[in-house]
Amino acid sequence: MSFLTGPMHFHLDGHKELTAHKEYLKLPEPDDLYIPLVNGRAACRPLVNAGDEVKVGQKIGEPTDGFWYVPIFSPVSGTVVGVEKRMTTMLKPGEHLHIKNDHKGTAVRAFEPFDYEKASWEELHSFVKEAGMAGLGGAGFPTFAKYSKPEGIDLFIVNAVECEPYLTADYRNAMENAELMKAGALALLKLCKAPKGLVAVKEDKKDLIEVLHRQFDGTGIEVAPVKDIYPAGWERTLIYMLTGKRYDRLPAEAGCILNNVSTCIALGNAMVNGMPITHKMVTVSGDGVQDPHNVYVPVGMPAGDIIRQCGGYVGEDCLLIAGGPMMGKTIPNDQFVIGIANNGLTVLQHREPFSVKCLRCGKCTETCPSGLEPVRINFAEKTKDIELLKKLDIMSCIQCGLCTYICPSKLDVTEGVARAKRYMTLATKK
Amino acid sequence: MKLTFKPSPNYRTAQSTSGIMWDLTMCLCAVTLFSVVYYTVAGGVSYGLRVVIMMAASVAAALATDAAYLKVMKQDIKKGILSSYSWITAMILVLISPIKASCYAIIIATIIAVFFGKLAFGGFGQNIFNPAAFGEAIIMNNFAATYAEDLYTGATPTTAIKAFGWLADSGKLNSLVAGYGGYGRMLIGGYISTIGSTCALLLILCCVFLIWRRDIDWQAPVFYIGTVFVETAVIGLMKGSGLGLGLFNVLAGGVLFGGIFMMTDPVTSPVTIPGRIVFAVGAASLTVILRGRSNFADGVLYSILIMNMLTPAIDKLFDGSQIKDAAKFRKYTLIASVCALAVTLLVGGLSSAKRPSSTAKPAEIPHVSAAAKASSFPEYEPSAEEISNDGTTAVYHTTAKGFHALNGGGEELNEADVTIDLATKTVKKVEITVFGDTAGIGDVATSDSKLAAYEGISSIDEVDAVSGATFTSTSVKAMVEAALNTAAAN
Repeated sequence: MSFLTGPMHFHLDGHKELTAHKEYLKLPEPDDLYIPLVNGRAACRPLVNAGDEVKVGQKIGEPTDGFWYVPIFSPVSGTVVGVEKRMTTMLKPGEHLHIKNDHKGTAVRAFEPFDYEKASWEELHSFVKEAGMAGLGGAGFPTFAKYSKPEGIDLFIVNAVECEPYLTADYRNAMENAELMKAGALALLKLCKAPKGLVAVKEDKKDLIEVLHRQFDGTGIEVAPVKDIYPAGWERTLIYMLTGKRYDRLPAEAGCILNNVSTCIALGNAMVNGMPITHKMVTVSGDGVQDPHNVYVPVGMPAGDIIRQCGGYVGEDCLLIAGGPMMGKTIPNDQFVIGIANNGLTVLQHREPFSVKCLRCGKCTETCPSGLEPVRINFAEKTKDIELLKKLDIMSCIQCGLCTYICPSKLDVTEGVARAKRYMTLATKK
Repeated sequence: MKLTFKPSPNYRTAQSTSGIMWDLTMCLCAVTLFSVVYYTVAGGVSYGLRVVIMMAASVAAALATDAAYLKVMKQDIKKGILSSYSWITAMILVLISPIKASCYAIIIATIIAVFFGKLAFGGFGQNIFNPAAFGEAIIMNNFAATYAEDLYTGATPTTAIKAFGWLADSGKLNSLVAGYGGYGRMLIGGYISTIGSTCALLLILCCVFLIWRRDIDWQAPVFYIGTVFVETAVIGLMKGSGLGLGLFNVLAGGVLFGGIFMMTDPVTSPVTIPGRIVFAVGAASLTVILRGRSNFADGVLYSILIMNMLTPAIDKLFDGSQIKDAAKFRKYTLIASVCALAVTLLVGGLSSAKRPSSTAKPAEIPHVSAAAKASSFPEYEPSAEEISNDGTTAVYHTTAKGFHALNGGGEELNEADVTIDLATKTVKKVEITVFGDTAGIGDVATSDSKLAAYEGISSIDEVDAVSGATFTSTSVKAMVEAALNTAAAN
């Protein structure tokens, strides 16, 4: 970054104090759960039929794809009602397995205790696959697939940055489950064969840094505090901050492999307690919810139930966002459920900003973490200039939202870029 | 209770375009206030009041133009005015005008700046030219005749630069700076310039405030002002007036005001940082060239307007990815900046202390034309005859009529010995032997320093007349030309 580029990031007010230091709530489990039959792109076929009894930790869905392999486990005990279509966080209808909760919590131990230190690489790899581990930062990418060919990796990074505003679920989870996190992180360090690991955490989270030092000092994984900026938790920005390297497609090109802190905890839980991902720590925050809290809820719990148990909505017109307000999508219906990769529900009161014309200030260009020029992309999108769009490298956009955030004229800059990407995809398909 | 759909993200910074414009307004008010105080102290209440009246008239004219436009276009007038920010255009327009400009001219210029400079392009965000610079350069300068003559008539520092060319030695510069109270005085204000360029220190404070508030980038003002300083300082070193020339050029005229309030206008400058650097370096180079070598009072306005025209091209140059095309962008920035610097230093460094430049002309052409013509000064009846010739140089005894002889005051001719280098056909020396003109007036033109200006010339066109002694200096010129013609004929 020379003086010819902007900072390519921005410090934004995270409003994390709303939830960060409150005790998390274990919400009463609902009577009806709807387990999504797809995790990310990993579609599953149900292993149970209507009327079957299921127990906590029982495998109820088998992936149909060998690569996108994330099996599904029951989060509660009860009776299977059947497969139903419901709206997902992708704003599309998807198949869900409806389970009637019997509130008994009868559990099976899904896996035998697993000692990653004694196990071979192959055993560890297959354990990660069978335990249904996936990127819990939001992408839901199968963890085992990431570690299939760990060659030339010289740095393993645990991503505990959590740069989305409002969200503190990862932070709370890491504070509560530091030992499980340590086990999971060391297992993944072994799996990627890297000589060294780092836990990246924002420098303002002093108490977490202290906890991490106690856990990791002397283990080969170091604590790496990073600046409180957005999007510090994005792979490219994080790797650039930690190593000074840029890469073209995958972090492995820079010799790095990353996993979210919640993934490490989930893996630790699977190895130590023998349980898959049945519950999630979810941040419910924002000025549109009465009582912001981190909540511990079973996978498959509808968002509306969670909000009601947090005191309900505030105001007459709200934006309900699955995730944080930057990259999370607004969903105009609170029937969708918490999936394994969801870690937040942000509820904001809806206020239309006073928007004026673009003044070409270039702030979007200076803060874009991908180094793009959103103002020029919006211009090229209006004129449908496909050559210019190509030159502007629009497919590198990850829709982190920073251009809309920073825009002083309050324009939907990110949406313009997203439109350009859709147009480009259509135009180049022909 | 309803849940609304909105595209992501749904989180926005508190900073708004209106907030940026109010910060700017505040800074412009501070500058105006200082000017009111300064002019009141320097010239009395009527001067201070004049600034206030001009400002009020201009802002009112701008808002009225906006309102009329919105009314005709059937748009919401209040919202339209609040998102058009035309009062900023008006304030800048007043602050870049001289105190002697008439209110009538200010009002006309404001209306035209707001309408043709902004609204005609589609309103705020769409205009090509900085509207205030547009109004000032295109309109105000045509109202020079309406300037009130009874007010300040002293030369502004920028017109002084013009009178001295590139200020050939440090003595001249020092006496000039001393005339404005020294660098310290120039920094805190107190010399005649445009209304807003009174206090350099205040402008710098405004700049720091605006950068701190993230209202403007640091790159545009720093590169603009820095480039003006570096270029004029280097020219100063080349010409013997030293680094002081750089400091003088930054403090004098509109460089600080333009660099802080006009270069940073986001609408009319490029959107990328390298683009803004090229824009600033280019505008600075043009400012330096225009200041030194053109007839404009100050180069700032025109340099900004010219660079405004290049903004789309600069934007195009830096289209791409700031990460993937970083090396290319660095190269473009470097090449463009070095070119701008080199051209400016070449123009500044190679030219003589006096205008117009002689280096650009081939020596032969004026020489031949001079020989072909009998004389450019027939009524002076010049003559020349060779009195010595050693093969390399020749001395000619020349005579011509002066003021006295031409106006029937007698037959006393001016006489001079002119030494010509035969190889290059250039003048080596001019010596007045008989002075037949009015002592005290004409001898301004025959002082040693004025005669030294003839040395090295091959054509009489390269020398200016000396004001106040036109007849005598033309008489000397006629004699030198006669000598050159005779030498050429041989």
